Amino acid sequence: MSKQQAAIVSAGFCEHASKRSDVNMAEMANEAIQDCLNNANIEMDAVDAIVMGNMPAFEGANLPELWMTDWVGARDKPLIRVTTGGTTGGSVAIAGYYHVAAGLPGIETVLAVAFEQQSCGNTSVGLSSVALGEISIVNALGLPAESAMRIFGAGAAIGIASYQAINYMKRSGCTEEDLARVVVQNRRNAAKNWWTHLKMPDYTIEQVMATPYVSYPLRFGMVTPASDGACAVLFTREEIAKDTVDIPAYVNGVSSVANETGIVGYAAAGAGQLDPCEQLGAVESAKLAYSQAGISFPEKEIDYAEVYSPFPNQELMWLERLGLFKENTAHLRYRDGTTAPNGELPVNCSGGVNSTNAIGASGLERVAEAALQIMGKAENQVPKTVHTSIGHGWGGCINFVTLTVLSDQPRRK
Amino acid sequence: MVKLEYLKKEYEKTRQMPGKWPLSSYRYKFNITHFQPFLKALKEKRLIGLKCRSCNTVSFPPKLVCGKCLVQPDQWVALRDTGMVATFTANYMKDETTGELQSFPVIAIQQDGADTTFLTQLNPAVKFEDVYVGMPVKVKWKNQPEGNLGDIEYYDVIDDATKKMKLQNE
Repeated sequence: MSKQQAAIVSAGFCEHASKRSDVNMAEMANEAIQDCLNNANIEMDAVDAIVMGNMPAFEGANLPELWMTDWVGARDKPLIRVTTGGTTGGSVAIAGYYHVAAGLPGIETVLAVAFEQQSCGNTSVGLSSVALGEISIVNALGLPAESAMRIFGAGAAIGIASYQAINYMKRSGCTEEDLARVVVQNRRNAAKNWWTHLKMPDYTIEQVMATPYVSYPLRFGMVTPASDGACAVLFTREEIAKDTVDIPAYVNGVSSVANETGIVGYAAAGAGQLDPCEQLGAVESAKLAYSQAGISFPEKEIDYAEVYSPFPNQELMWLERLGLFKENTAHLRYRDGTTAPNGELPVNCSGGVNSTNAIGASGLERVAEAALQIMGKAENQVPKTVHTSIGHGWGGCINFVTLTVLSDQPRRK
Repeated sequence: MVKLEYLKKEYEKTRQMPGKWPLSSYRYKFNITHFQPFLKALKEKRLIGLKCRSCNTVSFPPKLVCGKCLVQPDQWVALRDTGMVATFTANYMKDETTGELQSFPVIAIQQDGADTTFLTQLNPAVKFEDVYVGMPVKVKWKNQPEGNLGDIEYYDVIDDATKKMKLQNE
């Protein structure tokens, strides 16, 4: 049990777009911080420490924390940068929580900032810098460079999702229309938020199905965009939280679970999990976080879910692995409207990663939206009262999973 | 390419500085010693996997460390040349002469007798629409193996006996 009960009191965003050509990385992060502080009526002086994070190499500027300190308000304050691939945002949230929960004297309020300006650099160069070591090993083992690039370059991040999609469709019997339905719900939800990227209020399943395949079975209309954007979340102690807002979102469970490197494995040695949508890491992270939060029946106790799903098949997969729906039934719940904003278990009312993907910030945005739904301050607020919500993150080489469980009640001591 | 409409906002353009970041100047280190018996077997058109004494997991290609038990696997076992498609996807490439977009399957297979996946190529003549999870495949060797991963030219499709099986409730 932690020494201090931590809570989220505010969250802020900057406008997300494919090219934020009017601001640079630092200014963009600052926009989100200003929004976050304004929402809670707090001055920067009240913040004791800062945690920040983004993807390495994506903007072509390594170690941005070295020259962004003033922009994130970190002068004369402790500053830590966390980066764990796609889960960066989720890890930043967890690091912010750890800061407060440790109960150190003088560290009471912590600002977590995550950002990404993908238009600055070349995302495929960033991604290939991850895979190049692996490709060079396989090349050294005698596979011609051309075939090695062909095998490993099968869609980069999207390729891994299409492996998952193929296996998910095989095991659950969901169709391409089901995947399109997930996308349509996300994009329409995105249109109801001011900060999201792909706002498509009139998107239809037919429109999705008319687009060509990017990587079978995923179509152009289904895939996540590359966005510029930032997100900031304010963590603080229970007593301060109660004075600051009416309903703070208490952080009752956090977990960050690493699993085996997906499909490729390290040094071409493959993976022991034959089915890429098995995702034992997610199952383990759910077990860990739910046990911390005292949740025994996630399908009944959780009222709202924000899952990290750049591609629609992943949204279905995560909802099952995190214990919210029975195995292989998630696509049926989208058909009957359970996951719509007015449904029984609303999912991704912010539009999710499928509509807005500033990679480093995406994980933190999930936590921020999950918190805002509890506080009743979300832009696309669900009609039912949200008592418990989850914010999920996924990334690394398809092997990292972070999960944050939030509630309107502090953890039972 | 299809254009999808969405509510777009244009932002003012500020000054941009172009820059370059070459990624070709790195040296990646890799321990190749545990691969040597494997490569030697490939030269004789044999397949072998590395078995962990602690959990009996057979890895193909060989793994330096067993992630489950944190021990070094050291027992070599012979494997058959057949396998099963564990998962697959399609890769697309532009034909340089005609400019046509070509698709071909990329598969991860589970070699019979091994417990891990191996990312490899399928016979280029097979269309990705015909590939399915659980499809049996067989190694197509290069004519003169040289003792490297390139000796496995590709995996070829073989007859699926399960398709002829009749289920009881049918």
